Amino acid sequence: MTTLASIRDLTVTYRRDSNEVAALRSVSLDIANGERLAIIGESGSGKSTLALAIAGLLPGSSRIGGRIDWFLPSSPPSGAKAPPSVLPDISPSRGEIGSSPAGPLSASLAMGESGDKGVISPLEGEMSGRTEGGLVRREVRKSSLKQSYIPRLGRDIGFVFQDPSASLDPVMTIGKQIAEVARTHLGLTWSQSYARAKSLIERVRLPDPDSALRAFPHQLSGGQKQRVAIAAAIAAGPKLLIADEATSALDTIVQAEIVALIRRLVTEDGMTLLFISHDIALAAELAERIAVFRHGQLVELGMTAQIVGAPAQHYTRALLDAHIGLDTRPLLDRAGLHA
Amino acid sequence: MSLLAVSNLTKCYRRGDKTIAAVDDVSFHIDPGETLALAGPSGSGKSTIARLVLRLIEPDDGRIDFEGSDFLALSGAALRARRARLQMVFQDPLAAFNPRATVARVLDDPLRVHGIASRAERPRRIAALLERVGLIADLAPRAIHEISGGQRQRVAIARAIATKPSLIVLDEAASALDVSVRGEILKLLLDLQRQEKIAYLFISHDLGVIRSVAHRVILLDAGRIAENGDAQTVIDAPQSAIGKALVAAAPRLNRTLMRLASAGLD
Ligand SMILES: Nc1ncnc2c1ncn2[C@@H]1O[C@H](COP(=O)(O)OP(=O)(O)OP(=O)(O)O)[C@@H](O)[C@H]1O
Ligand SMILES: Nc1ncnc2c1ncn2[C@@H]1O[C@H](COP(=O)(O)OP(=O)(O)O)[C@@H](O)[C@H]1O
Ligand SMILES: [Mg+2]
Ligand SMILES: [Mg+2]
Repeated sequence: MTTLASIRDLTVTYRRDSNEVAALRSVSLDIANGERLAIIGESGSGKSTLALAIAGLLPGSSRIGGRIDWFLPSSPPSGAKAPPSVLPDISPSRGEIGSSPAGPLSASLAMGESGDKGVISPLEGEMSGRTEGGLVRREVRKSSLKQSYIPRLGRDIGFVFQDPSASLDPVMTIGKQIAEVARTHLGLTWSQSYARAKSLIERVRLPDPDSALRAFPHQLSGGQKQRVAIAAAIAAGPKLLIADEATSALDTIVQAEIVALIRRLVTEDGMTLLFISHDIALAAELAERIAVFRHGQLVELGMTAQIVGAPAQHYTRALLDAHIGLDTRPLLDRAGLHA
Repeated sequence: MSLLAVSNLTKCYRRGDKTIAAVDDVSFHIDPGETLALAGPSGSGKSTIARLVLRLIEPDDGRIDFEGSDFLALSGAALRARRARLQMVFQDPLAAFNPRATVARVLDDPLRVHGIASRAERPRRIAALLERVGLIADLAPRAIHEISGGQRQRVAIARAIATKPSLIVLDEAASALDVSVRGEILKLLLDLQRQEKIAYLFISHDLGVIRSVAHRVILLDAGRIAENGDAQTVIDAPQSAIGKALVAAAPRLNRTLMRLASAGLD
């Protein structure tokens, strides 16, 4: 199995008031091409921070260190072999990536799809931001993260958030939001982009695709909105799909539908999935491998059967024991009530 | 006699030109010291029932008897006195409290409002309440936003039991907590129930949790009762379509393990 991304010593701290909060401490892990990898852990363990760091979405108040080597089709083929010294150093001074001299990065620029005017523009160096109707607004951040390539959000990485409302523009039609991602990243015309949006709406199984294209987010249920957010996330055919608690705000029936949808789309498109969840049972149903996080550190990483069936770490065992499933022995002593 | 008896409860909301029955002709009862769970998909009416029972909203139709009196007919001092016996804990205690208030202040309010303890006696009562829910008394001067989510939910429970209620309505009270903390909170609730004979109306989307802590369960679908019975019996073998769908959708660790084990043998 080939590697999609190799993360080494990833460290993230947030500045809050005058304090520094360490959210990730020297995390190293490889994401394999085409795998479904789950990240689990309790709240505050650093799951979202990892997802945001990989996607280049961390806020300006954060400080990142470490290194990520990318093996995306559009990233330099020799990226892994490049000595660290020639890797673009993602620091403010190297922000002007578009003007950087020859090196692994320029290989990636040369390979950029035609029509995508977005060779990495000077504005898109080492930055963060948030999505707006599928587009990303970025801001410059202090960082010593070394990356062999700067993946583009939307094009290389699709991101699905917990709250679909937050990632959708309330005053833009569903069709336009999805089409815009395809147009921006694939260089399609508007009519080609709308055609792609319609087929995506069909693929995520929204009822009545033609009227869904013209609908606004508030006219859809939470589960339907999440389907739209997924359609927008995969509109430009990213290699990596990151879903951060994407089903946690939905009821269990809708959650099961969305999980089945993600599984189908990832398989059909040969995508790699990073599935972030606090629910170990849900993660185990979907993922081939599970990484357990605690206090910003990677506690254990293994095949799902091993993590769930024979965890090596006490903490993983404790998480499993705390799970209350449909066949767990009840806490309630039922003899008590009428005694 | 039942502690709480709800008969033919109905509550409609207008949405545009349509009327939606959020709660549609629902009847049930809860015995003293019993946990009745409400489950169902999002929008099925669980929280609306909770708000009706607490008289935070008024029904369009139906009757609620609590501790032997017509609860909807009560007003003034009689209502206030009866309200002390009916408490609530919601999902997000931060939203329920002023985050700048101290823990002591949050617990002082019910003791004062319901005249349960004199001013001189209240600090001792507050310390005892904190201890009762497994917190140290040193937490009293801390602000609500300065304590952890699990500690906050314990404070919410301490506040609910301050007035010695016979029934507590819990709407997703343990749902936002980490699994390790959630287990502790559920054990605390069962412990309080055993010792003080408190009944719970326990709302949750988590059938595993309901099966673990509730005596009986009602499954709701679009404001109506779809199924109703012993919690373990219903969840182990649901009869209604919505019950089957809810159970099928619940992730299952053991099923996954067995699937993986048999895949590993091939
Ligand atoms: N104040 C209100 N105005 C209009 N409609 C409402 C109001 N409150 C609830 N509803 C509607 O009543 C129905 C039941 O809502 P309710 O909040 O009781 O559901 P629930 O079972 O608690 O769902 P969840 O699992 O999402 O919390 C829904 O259709 C909801 O949209
Ligand atoms: N924008 C932020 N500013 C300051 N601290 C943050 C921010 N985001 C997360 N944190 C902190 O970083 C740690 C990890 O958080 P997060 O990655 O969101 O965890 P998880 O997703 O596992 O719940 C926590 O201590 C959290 O409070
Ligand atoms: Mg998170
Ligand atoms: Mg509710």
